[in-house]
Amino acid sequence: MKLPLAIASLIILIAHGIVFYEQFQNQWSSQQKAYFEQAQARAINAAEKEELGSRTPKVEQILVSQFGESRVDRCTTCHIAADDPRFKDHFEPLKSHPYSVAMGDYQKKNGDWERRHKFNDFGCTVCHDGQGRGLDLAHAHGSDEFWPDPMLGYVNQPNWRKDFTHLKGREYMEAACAQCHTEENFAGTPHVQRGRQLFFKYNCFGCHKIERLSEGTLGPELTEAGHKFKLDYLWESVVEPRANLATSFMPQFKMPWEDVRDLVIFLKSRKGFNYNETGLSRYRAKINPRMEGPEAVAVTPASLNIGSKTPEAMPKVTGFELLDQHSCFACHKVNDGKNKKDGGIAPDLSWEGLIRDSDWAFEHFKNPRSRMPDSIMPSFRYNDETFHLMTDYLMGLQTPAKFAPGEETFKAICARCHGEKGDGLGVTAVYIDPAPRDLSKPSFLATKPRQRLLDSIHNGVAGTSMPGWGKVLTDAQIEGTLNYVFTSIVKAKGDQYKDHKMPETNPVADTPDSRARGEQTFLARCIGCHGRKADGKGPNSIDILPRPRNLRNGSFVRALPDKRMMDSILYGVRGTAMPSWIEYGLSQKDAGDLMNYVRSLTPATRLQAPIRTARR
Amino acid sequence: MKTLLEFPRTVWTSVFRHPLPGSDLGRSQTSFTNFFLHIHPVKVNKHTLKPWYTMGLGLMSFFLFVILVFTGVLLMFYYVPSTTQAYDRMLDLRGTVAYGTFLRNMHRWSAHGMVALVALHMARVFLTGSYKKPREFNWIVGVVLFLVTMFLSFTGYLLPWDQLAYWAITVGTSIAGYAPVIGKDIKFLLLGDNTVGQEALLRFYVLHVVVLPAVLTLLIAIHFWRIRKDGGLSRPPEADELPVQLAASTGPTMAITVNATPMQLDPAPKREKRQFGLMGIVRGPFTKTGNIPDNSVYSWPNLLTAELFVFVLTVAIILVLALLFNAPLEEPVNIAHPPNPAKAPWYFLGLQELVSYSAFWGGVGIPGIEVAILFLVPFLERKPGGVGRWFAKERMLPNTLFMTFAILNVIFIIVGTVFRGPNWELVSPW
Repeated sequence: MKLPLAIASLIILIAHGIVFYEQFQNQWSSQQKAYFEQAQARAINAAEKEELGSRTPKVEQILVSQFGESRVDRCTTCHIAADDPRFKDHFEPLKSHPYSVAMGDYQKKNGDWERRHKFNDFGCTVCHDGQGRGLDLAHAHGSDEFWPDPMLGYVNQPNWRKDFTHLKGREYMEAACAQCHTEENFAGTPHVQRGRQLFFKYNCFGCHKIERLSEGTLGPELTEAGHKFKLDYLWESVVEPRANLATSFMPQFKMPWEDVRDLVIFLKSRKGFNYNETGLSRYRAKINPRMEGPEAVAVTPASLNIGSKTPEAMPKVTGFELLDQHSCFACHKVNDGKNKKDGGIAPDLSWEGLIRDSDWAFEHFKNPRSRMPDSIMPSFRYNDETFHLMTDYLMGLQTPAKFAPGEETFKAICARCHGEKGDGLGVTAVYIDPAPRDLSKPSFLATKPRQRLLDSIHNGVAGTSMPGWGKVLTDAQIEGTLNYVFTSIVKAKGDQYKDHKMPETNPVADTPDSRARGEQTFLARCIGCHGRKADGKGPNSIDILPRPRNLRNGSFVRALPDKRMMDSILYGVRGTAMPSWIEYGLSQKDAGDLMNYVRSLTPATRLQAPIRTARR
Repeated sequence: MKTLLEFPRTVWTSVFRHPLPGSDLGRSQTSFTNFFLHIHPVKVNKHTLKPWYTMGLGLMSFFLFVILVFTGVLLMFYYVPSTTQAYDRMLDLRGTVAYGTFLRNMHRWSAHGMVALVALHMARVFLTGSYKKPREFNWIVGVVLFLVTMFLSFTGYLLPWDQLAYWAITVGTSIAGYAPVIGKDIKFLLLGDNTVGQEALLRFYVLHVVVLPAVLTLLIAIHFWRIRKDGGLSRPPEADELPVQLAASTGPTMAITVNATPMQLDPAPKREKRQFGLMGIVRGPFTKTGNIPDNSVYSWPNLLTAELFVFVLTVAIILVLALLFNAPLEEPVNIAHPPNPAKAPWYFLGLQELVSYSAFWGGVGIPGIEVAILFLVPFLERKPGGVGRWFAKERMLPNTLFMTFAILNVIFIIVGTVFRGPNWELVSPW
């Protein structure tokens, strides 16, 4: 007993020793002592020497309460020379804080610099972030991965992605300037300004709302993005939109890293509060929908809402320039012979005049989902005059495509959506719902009669992004391209088309009872893939390609003949995950009830103008 | 002048009236002349002091509680139970307060240690059959102590007010809310609101620093009292058998005579194995005891040395742990951002794992049944044998059942801690 007791007691003694030793060995006191010594060496007179000699290290802190919640900034405990200009060439942490004109500092008549943002008023963390209360380096700089505000542009936290190599740099500090200095074109924040321009250039404003800047509703609101997220999260969200949400349909724009950096700086400056404003002015700006106040910026940098000006005042821009200024080419492609731009995300509009008519185009501008139910194109808030001008330009694109039938046509027109290899993985494919079909699946193409395929190319598929190419391409081109698909794209010979002898029209009468029965069957069998709302977003839909059909797509469902619908239900759709329900015991009567129910989901109302696609 | 010179001695003797014991009489007296030592019996059975019998688990739990109270009071000087201030105070404790990190570490690891040790202590008591007559009531007190300890740890878990704390308590109180009929009311009573917020923080703080420590202290006092009343720690019947060569003697073979009238102790009762209680009728300035040879030794110094050793060992281990490992402090509370997965404290992770199978049965039903059986076990197992030995054969059934449940609980806790990831899916920890 005695020996273990002695050992344990010794351990206690040693532990206490270590604890006491560590308590007196903190970094900041040795930094301060070094400062006292070196400042003594540079002292002006004996009185200052003596005063420095008698100082002992103690914690220095600045209490700041005019920027939101009260802050305690202890940075000057180590950075004790921050306001001592004699240390401007020293190494950190005893280096004095630089003076610069960009920060508003100015030189007095005697050559001394005067700081604009005095430390006693501002503290440090309001500009630099980091953890004010920390007294050791790791915690004070916010390098501990749990701290929500690491030092801006100086610190990467250990759990940040290693492949993001541009997250450090002085430019990131501008995001802090812009918290108060929110004016456009503020001299000290060129990167914020550029980021704001990119926010419009890449069409972010169409989907994302930033208060007093934009009104988009498709994506999350970014008014407080800088307050909520760290730099690495913002960067990742821009370059890999699906990194944190697999079902996001945010496009993956092709941007050089400098653009990403400036966008991130801009977003980081969006804190959702402006210390510059009083509570009253903030409230006024919120309830007043007009874009006003220091944050107000024209919705696009260039001439927006040109319809509000008189015809003489309207700037003379070509249609192409008009589209460019309104950031259409962030996603779409147009090649009108004279100009060419391509965002690589949305369909090619170069033959729009031959594919759609002006009613369709105008309505689509006003609300894309009125013509394309699952479109991710934002509803821009331009005025009608602008839309009419854009429509006029697009409708003027009426040059037929002059490509050789077969491979050339396919690669020039079809590959954008269907992919170079025809596998449904074109550049735009992930943004289009319903997705472009994988033409390489033998069972898919081979089970359709050839005439139906030709009709699909010629007239398009109602309710989907497949337009009718009948006026753009000649019959020879269409035939040639289809042959190319069958010979070079389809991988193997699949099953042949089989006519299941379905009735031409639904044999079951459309009564409330029939619909009720159909609904019961739907709930029992269909919602796993098609979803409870029949919008194709059932729980299994994430794992299925092509996605289950959105049965609320009225254009599609109304254009679908009864015969084909019944065939799809009872015998499935080859090449997709739609099973052959006749094998699970469904009869034609069951299918008829289902059809009555599904069609009841998308009645044609008088508000919906009929879709007019180009017809032969 | 002479008064002044004698000062040290007079002060000392007014506090310590009796010299350090040098004789058996002196050793006996320690239990009557010192406030703190009167908890102890004068003599204690040798079996009680065997290290591998109890492993000092109960003592360790108690000493951890003492450490917790001590470090807890020191922490109370710096902590404020306000949703706006609590986290900042934790940052100050970590970075600015002298010995702050160390203090907090000691408190945290003592807390986790105490929960683990009371569970082990309960296992020891069960597996040695020490809840049988006459110790049933003490067992009940012990189970209540166990629950109060876990509740103490739970209430303390919330106080740092970081993401870890907030969501762990959200999970824990939601499990409580699954109780039938009264579940919602229990949850509201705990939280003072429908969600975790300022009300919950204040409530948990008051429970943690005032109510539950007071309850625990009271119950510990009763627990110790009952040990004495039940005749000391449990031991096998052999431990009470008199040494062989003295079995024939009928009475005291020695008597201690001092300058006083010899005492008349109670006559030896007819039952042979009975031990004398020392609180017999006493007349005179001090007790006289017969120095009967038996299997007991004086508390001073044997029991005291054992207790001292357990104390020093406990403190040493906690000090080393506090030096090596830092208590966690995660992001400040963000009620819009639950972590995925949100996990309860480790002692409730077994429950959370069960809850992922069935809300009621996992969170309320099965734990409720387990606790109920714990309470009832001394009244369910009435056969008298097998006390005082580990894994006695007579108690194979209850021991097996207990070990099964204990191991299952540990397995569930391990699964919940290590093998569950986002969306509570099974993940590999490697």
